[in-house]
Amino acid sequence: MSRLVSLLRAGLRSNFGLSVALHRIFVEKKDRWYIPLFGLAAIGILPTLYGYALLIKSLYGFLQPIGQERVLLTYGILLGQFLVLLFGFYYVISAFYFSRDLEMLIPLPFRPVEVMLSKFAVILVNEYLTMIPLVLPVLITYGILSKARSSYWAGAIAVYALLPVIPLAIVSILVVGMMRLVNLTRKKDVMIVIGSVVMIVAVMALQFTIGRSAGRGMGVEAVAGFFFSPNSLLSRIGAGFPPSVWATRAVADAGTASGWTSLCVFAAVSLLLFWGILITADKLFYRGLIGIGEVSGRKRTLSRKEMSHRVSSGRRPIRAIFEREWRIMNRTPIFLLNGVLTAVILPLIFVVMSKMDSGRGDPAAMLRFLTSSTSVYVILGAAVFMVVCGCLNGTASSAFSREGGQFWMSKVIPVTPREQVLAKFAHSYLIALLGFAAAATVLVLVLHLGAPVCLVAVLLALTAGIALTAAGMIIDLARPLLDWINPMKAIKQNLNVLIAFFADMGILAVVWGITTLLVKAGVGGASLIAAVFAVLAVISALCFRFLLIFADKRYRDIEV
Amino acid sequence: MIEIRNVSKSYNKGKVKAVDGLDLTVKAGEIFGFLGPNGAGKTTTIKMIVGLLKPDSGTIAVNGLDTGRDSLKCKSITTYVPDYPAVYERLSGLEYLNFIGDAYGVPKSERLERIDQWLEIFELKQAVTNPIQSYSHGMKQKIVLTAAILPAPEVMVLDEPMVGLDPRAAHHLKEFMREHCDRGKTLFFSTHIMEVAEKLCDRIGIINKGKLIACGTMEDLKKIDREAGPSLENIFLELTDT
Repeated sequence: MSRLVSLLRAGLRSNFGLSVALHRIFVEKKDRWYIPLFGLAAIGILPTLYGYALLIKSLYGFLQPIGQERVLLTYGILLGQFLVLLFGFYYVISAFYFSRDLEMLIPLPFRPVEVMLSKFAVILVNEYLTMIPLVLPVLITYGILSKARSSYWAGAIAVYALLPVIPLAIVSILVVGMMRLVNLTRKKDVMIVIGSVVMIVAVMALQFTIGRSAGRGMGVEAVAGFFFSPNSLLSRIGAGFPPSVWATRAVADAGTASGWTSLCVFAAVSLLLFWGILITADKLFYRGLIGIGEVSGRKRTLSRKEMSHRVSSGRRPIRAIFEREWRIMNRTPIFLLNGVLTAVILPLIFVVMSKMDSGRGDPAAMLRFLTSSTSVYVILGAAVFMVVCGCLNGTASSAFSREGGQFWMSKVIPVTPREQVLAKFAHSYLIALLGFAAAATVLVLVLHLGAPVCLVAVLLALTAGIALTAAGMIIDLARPLLDWINPMKAIKQNLNVLIAFFADMGILAVVWGITTLLVKAGVGGASLIAAVFAVLAVISALCFRFLLIFADKRYRDIEV
Repeated sequence: MIEIRNVSKSYNKGKVKAVDGLDLTVKAGEIFGFLGPNGAGKTTTIKMIVGLLKPDSGTIAVNGLDTGRDSLKCKSITTYVPDYPAVYERLSGLEYLNFIGDAYGVPKSERLERIDQWLEIFELKQAVTNPIQSYSHGMKQKIVLTAAILPAPEVMVLDEPMVGLDPRAAHHLKEFMREHCDRGKTLFFSTHIMEVAEKLCDRIGIINKGKLIACGTMEDLKKIDREAGPSLENIFLELTDT
């Protein structure tokens, strides 16, 4: 047992790097700016959390008179479990199969289940952190508003601790099964990407099925039923995913027989699925893992003519670096899934949402609402949609981090930092263009946006894309994460991606603020669009210029 | 030619001195072997020469060009092989060599000739179109060495280049190193293999705890410690024994 504990501790330490972070901050006295940065981030997120709490409070005020307030807990729990399901998929595939330390762990005298549990523990901690901003406010606000007793808080802690287990266990078992099959094939990387896309779409479909089952048949009789039957709405939602109902009752009825029963059922199912992981791990984990990195190469000597054909006749360094970026991104499944495919899949999600749920409150409905307004707002709304789809995927904000331990080559080749950054910019911008194109296709074909309006929106998105791509690259260049052992660290778990997200939101907020001021000043129509374009062009030019200047300094300073 | 003048580098805000006031000149046409125990400062020195680390103080010049001020010119005449062949695993060997050829602006005819020659020597011709990910450690080392030879640099800086090489490949590399310097070019390399240093190097430097404790030809080193014995291994052990 102590052996497993020691493995778990080593896994958690190497992943969360607490000792390394403390050493860097307090001993080496580097990265001290993290402390104020995290402080600022915490202060920055407070208004959002406060707004979220106010929303929960107003919903509670609406649902409480009809006896349906527990639905809030169910929604919070469902949201948390959905997040775990979605993020868990990326975390599991990356931690279980692409961590570089696995090469060191496999030869050690650990059972497959022990190695997998050490990775599972890391993912579990990640999931607890991911759920904090969405689930905790629901549990806390509900507890305060319902003047909950201590049993509620004890139940809430137990449910929060168990919450990620069921979805994470489901994802783990599915991924381990998928990778076992993938490992039987020759084109492993391609199969990983295909399998991953299928699973992401399946997760989305599951979420929308649950959402639809909750909203189906909301006629007058059903609404009237809520007044006479407390928790009927809860049961309706729970029909799609029963664990959310057990968890809700375990918290809301904590201390009563119903609460204890629900908690026991919830814990028992969690444990059962966890046991399923243990079984799967011993039977399938290593059979899917060992050899997954193997690449079957053909042994064939190129003829002199073939060699002459394949040896490049001298491309410009910018093109050579661009092609390197393109190839590495597309050939690394984790990078491909998080970069290119996210840019293309995001608009598809909107399509699925609009096809599966014509209800209220979903983003697609918001977009439809937006696009049914006056043409100026249609253009602005469409442009924002394109920018969200194209630029918020982490390609730009991991442009340097993705190089990892290979960054030494970028330091020693005789190519100026500006040329290297230009090539990387071109690559990140191309990914953004793919997102813009996918978003524009959805706007035109699904939401029936007129081509002229769409073209103007594309022009605005193209301009904004320069600013957002440059901003993401500046942030990653300022603090590239080059010592990762798991490719997911470089892109999905890279703090730079989150910082860039907030920076992008900041840039869009500035543009939005200026637009609002212009509208108040009476500017409208084509003049407003022209003014927004001018503002975006200036911000883009400034960001791009700063990126080039910053590149000269940072390439000198980054030590590897 | 490499000129290192009073170069120092420390970590942990000056608490750990990795290189301390290093003064060293490697002449053109010379194979210079850089020896030292683990953690003595060899890799730090090498990384400062090729621009991966910035010296805290002092200057480094390659063929008269300051590595700080004229970094791009220095890079265009220098190639480097790290102590661990961390290369783009998702590229094929040939794609990697093409990338290096493009970065250094190597003309196609020269590129084709050298790639063909070194793939033959290193027996990599059958694997060159496969992803580097599928290579063994030794094959990765060979592809990195081929990439370093490809631009026909004036100065080569190699950090433990023999590690992972089979005896035949190591033999060919040593022959190349000699020919490279016979053409008036410079080669600076670190190694833990005393026999290689003794037989191959024109001059040898020994670094310990960041300081250069001995430098010269084999004959010069023998004079420093006459009691140590005739072999470089004995001299090394005697000088670095603390």
